Amino acid sequence: MLNDLRYRVRALFLRRAVEDELEEELRFHFDAEAEKHMRAGMTLEEAKRRARMAFGGHEQIKEDCREARGTSVIETTMEDVKYALRQLVANPTFSLVMVLTLALSIGANSAIFSVINGVLLKKLPYPNAERITRIFLSSADFPKFPLNPFDFLDFRARNRSFESMAAFTRGDVQLSSGSEPVHLDGFYVTSGYFRVLGLQPQLGREFDFNAEIPGNGLQVILSNRLWRTQFGADPNIVGRKITLNTQPYIVVGVMPAGTEHPGNNYHAVAYGDSVDVWRPFPFEGSSNNRGSHYMEGIGRLKAGVSVEQARAEMNAMMAQLAREHPGNDSGWTMLVVPLYSEIVGARQRMLFVLLGAVGMVLLIACANTANLLLARASARQREIAVRLAMGAPRLRVVRQLLTESLILSLTGGVLGLLLAFGGVRALVTLLPTDFPRAHDIHVSWPVLVFTLLISLLTGILFGLAPAMQASHTDPKQGLQGSRTTTASRHQNRLRSTLVIAEVSMACVLLVGAGLMLRTFLNLVHLDPGFHEENVLTASLSLPHVQYRTDDQTAQFYDNLTNSLNALPGVESAGAGSDLPWTGYDENTGFGIEGKKAIPPDYFHARYHMATPGYFSAMEIPLLEGRFFTEADRKGARNVIIVNRALAQRYWPGENVIGKRITGEDEPKKDSDWMTIVGVVGDVKDQPNSTGAEPALWWSEFQVAQPDMSVVIRTRSDARQAADGLRAAVHKLDPALAVADVKLMNQVADASISAPRFTFVMVSLFAGLAIVLAGIGTYGVIAYTVAQRTQEFGLRVALGAQHGDLLRMVLMQSARLVVPGMIVGLALALSMGRVMQALLYGVSAADPLILASVAFVVLVVALIASYVPARRAANADPMIALRSE
Amino acid sequence: MKSRTLLSKRKGNNLTGRIELPQGTLDLLILRTLLPGAQHGWAVSERVQQVSSEVLSIQQGSLYPALHRLERRGWIKAKWGTSENNRKAKFYELTRSGKRQLELETETWRKLTLAVEQVLEGA
Repeated sequence: MLNDLRYRVRALFLRRAVEDELEEELRFHFDAEAEKHMRAGMTLEEAKRRARMAFGGHEQIKEDCREARGTSVIETTMEDVKYALRQLVANPTFSLVMVLTLALSIGANSAIFSVINGVLLKKLPYPNAERITRIFLSSADFPKFPLNPFDFLDFRARNRSFESMAAFTRGDVQLSSGSEPVHLDGFYVTSGYFRVLGLQPQLGREFDFNAEIPGNGLQVILSNRLWRTQFGADPNIVGRKITLNTQPYIVVGVMPAGTEHPGNNYHAVAYGDSVDVWRPFPFEGSSNNRGSHYMEGIGRLKAGVSVEQARAEMNAMMAQLAREHPGNDSGWTMLVVPLYSEIVGARQRMLFVLLGAVGMVLLIACANTANLLLARASARQREIAVRLAMGAPRLRVVRQLLTESLILSLTGGVLGLLLAFGGVRALVTLLPTDFPRAHDIHVSWPVLVFTLLISLLTGILFGLAPAMQASHTDPKQGLQGSRTTTASRHQNRLRSTLVIAEVSMACVLLVGAGLMLRTFLNLVHLDPGFHEENVLTASLSLPHVQYRTDDQTAQFYDNLTNSLNALPGVESAGAGSDLPWTGYDENTGFGIEGKKAIPPDYFHARYHMATPGYFSAMEIPLLEGRFFTEADRKGARNVIIVNRALAQRYWPGENVIGKRITGEDEPKKDSDWMTIVGVVGDVKDQPNSTGAEPALWWSEFQVAQPDMSVVIRTRSDARQAADGLRAAVHKLDPALAVADVKLMNQVADASISAPRFTFVMVSLFAGLAIVLAGIGTYGVIAYTVAQRTQEFGLRVALGAQHGDLLRMVLMQSARLVVPGMIVGLALALSMGRVMQALLYGVSAADPLILASVAFVVLVVALIASYVPARRAANADPMIALRSE
Repeated sequence: MKSRTLLSKRKGNNLTGRIELPQGTLDLLILRTLLPGAQHGWAVSERVQQVSSEVLSIQQGSLYPALHRLERRGWIKAKWGTSENNRKAKFYELTRSGKRQLELETETWRKLTLAVEQVLEGA
């Protein structure tokens, strides 16, 4: 066995030496034989002749010896490869076009597969991640709602479905360090949060139940990143005190590198290495207080418990809670969502649409290459006929031609991989900012394997038909044909079908690109309800320790907006609880004077806070009444501003200025009521939301909110206001961090980055597809024109006009393109449903888009067939007649 | 490894009065010829012809592929040496597993010929 292997390896790698030895061995035999005959008395000539006769075919013996060596399969393949390379180098343009189209389409597929692999296929970085689920409340008005902390405690205590359950909620902090305070993204978590994720601190431990008791909460767990950047990776950090929000916190643990935040919905922080600190969540106040919802539930299912079982149990528990706490806890059902779906679910459709698009590009490239190879195979008919006539087995010819196509596809694959390396990097920068797992997208091993597989597959796919067809060449016919060999009718039909398929797939992609373009344009040209140009924003968060009273908070924002308004170049400045299009989702129920709400929480709205300058800085228009003023502060009449959606929903057709609402269940005094003083225009949650939610604003000076977004509208470039903003903040409070300094442009841009990404990608693929389909059409038309040169010459000789011939060829091209177009548009219509969820303001069957695509395809086909058509029309009758 | 008749390819090349070797016997003949000591290819074919009183002849077209195959199987090994007339030649010699193989094949051959003999006599 070992000997066998050693022998074969030597025969393969020392082929030259082995061949030389064989030659020498055979020569020795020949000489010895001749010598024998000479000893018997023959002349030298005679002896040599006899020896040669006995010897038989010298080359044949060598071939048999090679076969006996057991390396012939590899050697034949190497010969095939050499031969194929010679063929490809002999037709450089042909080879280059094919390799490039394959490289582009394989590269595009590898790039998209890198995304799919990183985002959808790669396992989440938690042990047994398939058992981790997110837990939400759900009702008709709020399909996915956070939990109440005390409800959570009951769930945790009573459930049997979960191995462990935890809740978490956003809680950013300020780290006092060195010169400037640093804003940290943080979360409050219940005990056992990391156990649910299956993670353990690399230093120290996670919070125990004691940490949940109010007053025990000055503990913190650091992220590995924060530990390294801010604390020099101090190995003795556990037990040390650090200053957060000007209070001393004890470090109890450091999480290992690669600890990924599972993502959350309420005050969202994206999935990934995006969290700096975790603090214990203190369960403060009365456990009967079940009205506010801000905890994100997460749980690890017991082995063998299904999501469905867990959901049923949660619903039963919620029903029990509704009996225990009627009012707040009634009207809810429970959602139990696997973490994986929660993280990538929303993007799955988009990725599959892209994969479909890029797959189609690859199929088009295959059809194209098959077509070119078919054309060439008929040109090579004579060569193949010669090989068959010389006794080459048909299988050997098929193998030879397949080797050629595999070389093409593998070369395309290697180049494609290089393209993918660059493409993936570009693609990741293009991805929407909130795209899950973007940092997991690399050209990794699975991508390499995928590329190799699709390269082989395409090579076989586009190589098989031409190879089979060529091997059916009849050697007699192939050799006899004095004229340029003509393709069989069968072959022409195959080639036409391929072009029709190419055109139809290109149509589908073009329709997709058109739909995404319309969606994108609709979103860009949408009237957002505010004006994002020349606006600078930043977020501030006043630590509770220093700003204990509402007056202190209100005073801070009053002072700040005043000094910002005084800055040169500033048109107006204000602060609001949130910025438009950032996923803000704070809701409140309320009572309306003189109306009875059925069911109890029927009157509800998004609630916000704003200072007087907020609306004018954002240019949200005032429709009725007035904006807030400096006078709307504590002690004065409680006022609110509502949006048009709220006014129309609860007071349809009425004037709402002066109407009163209340947050109290049983309002008694005048101060329990809030009076509507203004109505502003609608701003939707997201640019592609169907409509605006009812919303109301409280005056920041009456309902002080410590975490605010500052909004500064300037006359020219808003970036210049950034330094003034920092200076103004630090003049008021040197220890306050100014975070997320951004242009409102960027915020608005980020909110439409997903449709933009889809649009850019689909358009790229559609562009590639139509170019390939154009090349395919050109190939077929040019080939048939070349075949019919003599016919055309004859026609000219018989009096055909230039225009007649032109029309003839163009008609031939139309016979391919029009059916392809019809099939393609029909396909696009039937696939519209897949796209609909990604579209905005355009129907999947938009007639304008379908018509434009038809037009584009016809124009491309016209261009592709015009060149060969002109050649046909200019056919020289003399050439045709002479060659006959 | 596919087995096939190594001689069948060159049918009709046989000189008159000589018998075509039955399938599988070529290896046996080569191994047996190499038993006394190392030989080069030409000597092997000469020896078989002599010893069989010119009845058996091995065509070169079969001999060398067979030698290479036996070498690959590890039954013989090759080394370069000098021939009687002082030329460089490739000598083959039996390996230990080659000797075992020879015993095995000889025994099989004996059994086979004996059995065939019995059938021919008895029928």
